[in-house]
Amino acid sequence: MDSRDPSSAVASDAARDASLLSEDAAVLSVTSTLAKSALSCFQSGKFEDCIDILIQLDQKQHNDPKVLHNMAIAEYFKGGCSKSKKLLEELNCVKKQSEELASAAREQVEAVNPGTNVSVSKDQFDSTVTTLNIAVTWFHMHQFTKSSSILEPLFQNIGRLNETIALQICFLLLDIALACHDAVKFSAVFDYMDKAFGVGFGSHEENGSTMQLSSNQGSKTSSLLSSSVVADTVAESSLCEETLDYDNVLAAEYDAEKRMKSVGHIPANNLLKTLSERSFSTADLKLELQLYKVRFLLLTRNLKLAKREVKHAMNIAQKRDSSMALLLKSQLEYAHGNHQKAMKLLVVSGIHKEAGTSGIFNNNLGCIYYQLGKYEASSQLFSKALRSCSSLRNEKPVKTFSLSQNKSLLITYNMGLLYLARGEPLLAAQCFQKASVVFCRQPLIWLRLAECCMMALQNGLLDRSEIRVNVVGKGKYRKLMIEENGHLELDGSTQCGKLSLPLARACLSNGIYLLNESLLNESKSDRESTLSVGMNETKEASSADHGEANTNSDLKEAKGGLNQDIMQSSLSAFKDIQSREKLLIKQALLANMAYVELELENPIKALAAANSLLQLPDCSKIYVFLGHLYAAEALCLLNRPVEAGAHLSAYLVGQDDFKLPYEQEDFDQWRMHTSSECEETLDSSTGNARDSVFLKPEEARGALFADLAALLATQGHHDQAKAMITHALTLLPNNVQATVTAVYIDMMLGRSQDALTRLKQCTRVSFVPGRLEVRAS
Amino acid sequence: MNRSTTVLMKIEESATVLSLLKSDLLPMEAVLSEFNSKLQSSSHLAVCNSLSMMLQEQKMLCGTERLIAFGIIYKCYSSQKPSFNPFLSEMISAACNEQLEKSERAFLLHLLQWNNYNNVKEILKQSAVDYIRSFDPSTHDFPELGELQREYGDKADPGPSSHIFADYSLKKLLHDPDVPRGCDPDSPEFDVQPGGNPRIGSGDRDEALSGLLENSTMAGLAPRWIRPCPPRYSVHQSELLWIDPDNKHELVWDDKMCADTSRGATVRDLLVKGLKMTLSPSEQEDITTELTNDPKLVYHCGITARKLPQLVEHNPQIAVEILTKLNNNKEILDEFLAALVNMDMSLHSMEVVNRLTTAVELPKEFIRSYITNCISSCENAKQQDKYMQNRLVRLVCVFLQSLIRNNIINVKDLFIEVQAFCIEFSRVREAAGLFRLLKTLE
Repeated sequence: MDSRDPSSAVASDAARDASLLSEDAAVLSVTSTLAKSALSCFQSGKFEDCIDILIQLDQKQHNDPKVLHNMAIAEYFKGGCSKSKKLLEELNCVKKQSEELASAAREQVEAVNPGTNVSVSKDQFDSTVTTLNIAVTWFHMHQFTKSSSILEPLFQNIGRLNETIALQICFLLLDIALACHDAVKFSAVFDYMDKAFGVGFGSHEENGSTMQLSSNQGSKTSSLLSSSVVADTVAESSLCEETLDYDNVLAAEYDAEKRMKSVGHIPANNLLKTLSERSFSTADLKLELQLYKVRFLLLTRNLKLAKREVKHAMNIAQKRDSSMALLLKSQLEYAHGNHQKAMKLLVVSGIHKEAGTSGIFNNNLGCIYYQLGKYEASSQLFSKALRSCSSLRNEKPVKTFSLSQNKSLLITYNMGLLYLARGEPLLAAQCFQKASVVFCRQPLIWLRLAECCMMALQNGLLDRSEIRVNVVGKGKYRKLMIEENGHLELDGSTQCGKLSLPLARACLSNGIYLLNESLLNESKSDRESTLSVGMNETKEASSADHGEANTNSDLKEAKGGLNQDIMQSSLSAFKDIQSREKLLIKQALLANMAYVELELENPIKALAAANSLLQLPDCSKIYVFLGHLYAAEALCLLNRPVEAGAHLSAYLVGQDDFKLPYEQEDFDQWRMHTSSECEETLDSSTGNARDSVFLKPEEARGALFADLAALLATQGHHDQAKAMITHALTLLPNNVQATVTAVYIDMMLGRSQDALTRLKQCTRVSFVPGRLEVRAS
Repeated sequence: MNRSTTVLMKIEESATVLSLLKSDLLPMEAVLSEFNSKLQSSSHLAVCNSLSMMLQEQKMLCGTERLIAFGIIYKCYSSQKPSFNPFLSEMISAACNEQLEKSERAFLLHLLQWNNYNNVKEILKQSAVDYIRSFDPSTHDFPELGELQREYGDKADPGPSSHIFADYSLKKLLHDPDVPRGCDPDSPEFDVQPGGNPRIGSGDRDEALSGLLENSTMAGLAPRWIRPCPPRYSVHQSELLWIDPDNKHELVWDDKMCADTSRGATVRDLLVKGLKMTLSPSEQEDITTELTNDPKLVYHCGITARKLPQLVEHNPQIAVEILTKLNNNKEILDEFLAALVNMDMSLHSMEVVNRLTTAVELPKEFIRSYITNCISSCENAKQQDKYMQNRLVRLVCVFLQSLIRNNIINVKDLFIEVQAFCIEFSRVREAAGLFRLLKTLE
């Protein structure tokens, strides 16, 4: 009989087993002894010995799924955690076997008269641990959806499981939800954890009292406490410095290190320690849940509440490891756009001192530098991060007894964004292609890949932005021949790698497909909530008006509401943000699709894409403009000039003038899109502003003039066309297309001298000599 | 038109064509057959295209060259109907161009086989020089442009292009004479004199011709559409992935391996017994202690929703114990409660529910449907003996009073139902008592 302290929040089966073993050692069967020594071998990393014992056990208990299970695990560790596929196969096999045995046993029980003394323990064929391990393996292989779907049935019945396993399942689900940005799932799991393991935090009054308590303790200079105080002061003091160099930051960090010397550094996230100590202290759990809460708030971009909750987390962490709390604080400042502060906090968190987390440190610092527009530094940091990830892989994971934190694919994605920002589409595409293992379900990565293709097209074929005029003959007989500059196909394997317009098209249709799918799911889940545990409230929250929900959250905040209310209100606000973002991505995808189809000379598909773009609700004015322009061109190519004209005349003021298709504000708004909820708006001169170069509103107006001129010219209205193209060229001097159209109109009007002058004045014309020299030689 | 298939002539081809154009003393037939033999049909289109462009410039080719050029264009498409000739419209407009030599226009009309111009074969037997020399303008009349266009226009093939930009594309050369300012570029002084030193502004016509032949491409000059590339989707700071270290999700050793599974076995055995008979107090106590010690045991103790009614009948105490332990697992509890509602009404079942109501908070829905079930059980008991019915009614009344007194149910929710029940069974003393209680609460 076990004698456990009922007050301890979490029970440990292992501990109970151990006590059982010590009490009744004499009675223990041989197998139990063997099992025990196998475990101790496993825990001390002697996998060879462990496997030997397991083989003995297997001979005694033939085909016991649990023996086979542990054997698979031990083999995996023995092989340096490299054969994940094999492990999965074996675990699935074990799982199937135990399920079969369990159902056989059940039938047996049913068949046998219940009066007889056959009692089958469900434990014996319980496959929960196996299932969890399968999910863990998928998780480490970045197959989050798979992992999640495997865990789902366990989560449905989580009440029946012992708490250690239940906690592991929950934490895994939380990390999966974070990785997938799935706030709904997160809140369902978190709600459950809050109820089942919640240690009574969350109410505002209590927060206050804790803070009170901690400030009292402040005088007692516990070493850990002082460390975080030091950390804070360092952060504050270094904020005064204006300088922002990496060196300075490091200097500040060494400073801090000196001050913290006495404090033994505790590794980040020590909650799920090695298996030998599989019990959680209430305080650990409390901190961990609080940290996850902050991460949820950061995910849902509820920065205001995140700020409050991270403070609370700091208070709890003061007595233990505060690195994670500091890291989250840094992330919060990063999200706020306070890059300097974020940088200091990141350094103070000390995660770069651990081999396991130095990659993460460099990545996060790289993010900050990216936002500051310092791409060179950012690139160096990302590369450094990748290097430390790969060195981590080469280390013996057996020694650390854990699967390494391989974040390299995430860092690779960041690297891809960076290359794209620096105008290097080939390298960017390589990164995105690598990272697509993790992100292939997200529409955005497909948009990015398509952007790489389009950038390669623009970069690779510079001659497209020029007018080529062939100069033939000499002297009296000199003639100029203007070519419709037929551009080369982009299949050029040498120049652009595998990037091509057809690839761009494939990527875009992937993106559109995924986006439509997720929009469909969204509308479905709005109607019926899919998660069973504690989701009743979600229904109400999501059906409620979002604006209202926001104000509710403010009210509750003031009163000190419950965890759940906070979570639900930021969840619904986040859903709002997400659907807005999806809409923006959809606009971008469709606009790009129309463009690519035009480039590929598929006017029918281009027209379809442009029309879908124009039909989107609340479409940005920029994309509406592009939609009209693409649709009009496609219609021209389909010999439907009248309809084409209708698209252009949407912007017509009076007979012959165009209004601005969009304002500068529209552009800024679009560029900043979702950052509106940041308290401090980002300085538009840094970072993002550089990312996208696009027509200024006046230039867009010029494009309308030029395109209408082209359309009129083909309809034989050369005089009208001439007026239009003149407007266009004042707005877009030196524009290649407009100049060509102007030359065409001049020639059609029989004014070849004007055409000649125009060509000679335009700076973007290259006069290409004929091939006479070749012939003469 | 596929812009990517821009066809350029080969250098040798252009040299051949140039020499053919100059063969003005050979019978045109011979020139054309030489053309056919020296050039592959795949390059015909490109040749015709270049020739047609040069033909638009009256000064580029001399009279005989123009005849041969048109002859080549004619020859390339002579095996097909005239309407398949993509250069038909140019031939027609040249035939009607008053600025051109009449001999050339007549030649074209012969090629087009218009009305009585039908002796192409005869004409082609002459050399170009001979044809021009022997030409008698007085014997010819020339049609209007419209007339010819009507004749051929509706038969004309729209050509290889398919959209309006290409349809209206212009194949035209721009004159850019490179001669000293103030000089007449048309003056013969700028032609290259054989043997003489080249002077500024002088040019060789042949050089220009072969240059044009080589450099001309299929496509003409068309109005160009401005097609802005969509802006790059801006990077929101959340797209850049900030990484937090996650928990070290370890693979878990299954410590239930070969573990002693006898724990709980006693409880399971006792419960199996409990489905059949009332357990002794000490046995009941054993079960209760085990269940308290292992909160998860309740899920593995062998009692399912299906077996619950038996347990309720024999050991209501234990049933309450188990249901209380299940309280934090809503799904399973619901399953068990449903079994409780659906079982036959009895003293024990009511006892279980009554005790549960004081121990845990039960779903309102459950209590409501349980009470409804109680009342309908009483009504249905009519068919059986009256004694049993009265007994049941009494039990229900006591049960309801207890629920009301303990504030488990809100009377208002069930008022009408309970009141009707009391009136129906007013003969039973307890029902009258319950009725009075209802009245006081009203």
